Amino acid sequence: MNRLERRYRRLLWAYPANYRRERSEEIVGTYLDLAGPGRRWPSPADVADLVRGGLRQRLRAAGANDLLPGVRLAALLALTTATFLAGFWAVLEWQSPPAGAGVPAFGPFVSIGAVAWFAWLLAALLTLVAPGRPTRAAVAAAMLLTATTPLVSLVIDVPRPPLYVLLPPVVLGVLALAVDGRLPLAARVLPITAALAGASLDAFWNRPGAYWGWYNWTAEQVLPAAGGALLAVALLLAVGLGIRRDRRGWWTVMVLLTPVGLLNVHPLAGAVDGLASAATRPTYPTMVATAITVGLLGAALLPAAVALRRRQVVPEPVAPCPTCGAHR
Amino acid sequence: MDTPLREPTFLILTALAREPMHGYAIIGEVVGLSDGRLSLRPGTLYGALDRLTDAGLVELDREETVDGRLRRYYRLSPSGDATLAAETERLRRNVEAATARLRARRVQPLAPRTAGGLA
Repeated sequence: MNRLERRYRRLLWAYPANYRRERSEEIVGTYLDLAGPGRRWPSPADVADLVRGGLRQRLRAAGANDLLPGVRLAALLALTTATFLAGFWAVLEWQSPPAGAGVPAFGPFVSIGAVAWFAWLLAALLTLVAPGRPTRAAVAAAMLLTATTPLVSLVIDVPRPPLYVLLPPVVLGVLALAVDGRLPLAARVLPITAALAGASLDAFWNRPGAYWGWYNWTAEQVLPAAGGALLAVALLLAVGLGIRRDRRGWWTVMVLLTPVGLLNVHPLAGAVDGLASAATRPTYPTMVATAITVGLLGAALLPAAVALRRRQVVPEPVAPCPTCGAHR
Repeated sequence: MDTPLREPTFLILTALAREPMHGYAIIGEVVGLSDGRLSLRPGTLYGALDRLTDAGLVELDREETVDGRLRRYYRLSPSGDATLAAETERLRRNVEAATARLRARRVQPLAPRTAGGLA
């Protein structure tokens, strides 16, 4: 066994043990057939291919073949929700306080959050005109800008949106990075349509002169409504796809539960505080504790669902060798 | 298996329609069929073959050891044959429809549209 073969075999640890026992000779043999003379290391593309193949095989062994298509569907819904919120907040950002009111602002905008919201709008536009890598890069940039807004606001001393407004788009953005690069036009148009709908809703709701707003009260209304709509759409899709024996929709619901929970941090924390002390509004520590609980539960939910699914799967008997009839 | 088939799946089935093949041969055949546009990597290929086997479109044919390397040959199952035939027919109809429209367009160029009538 030469060094290259040993290195390919090491990478096969990405696969489940029984699959490795059955198929490692065949897979490594094919890699070696394809490797040019003098190659000593697997290429980065080979490493990515083996890790991806191993992950798929582990999901297949757990009976969760539909998980990755479900995550891709969730990514589109997450991106659509994030761009709806960005459209809504972008209009709110223009409604800065009147000059001389003594309220801090960020240039013509209410806060520095405007930068992040415009980045999300760019991501929505790119989903329509340049799907694939440009869209993912724009989503990553928008997500990073949103995540670093509190730090930048601290450094340059300008107002920022509340943390519970910034957190959901960051989590939605992580999911949106999995968005499929080969979406049909009807799907690619969703994020920009949602952004325009969000902007129109805010423009209608907050008519000039009637309101110059800050996020708090508005966010308390909009975020839970967006979370509820996201969950309702995901459930409807899951039921509709389930009728066609397509189970990916339930994985979509599963992965979206964390962002839905974060969009509802305010009412959830309010329920906790209301139960404990009959307070009318949740306290800041309760909201932080609620967000952490939602994040931890969400992170644990998916592995638990995959493990549960694996227990329900009856292992298939290994087929005998078609040439010699031996069972390995 | 979802239809229409994705291009890699279609080309793997097309490769196996000629004769049973092992993984390395399938990769070479897919490169040829796609004019070098699609180059499958082994992790992707064997994942696709597993899915096609689960769906009953591909079967294991035989195993051989060549130069100390194990080679498994895969063949198209009767169900895979029927799926490939149905998909080919669907694509053929699409190509025929598009070809007819393009031909008609070249024979009778569209009249330029005028707004507001002739001045």
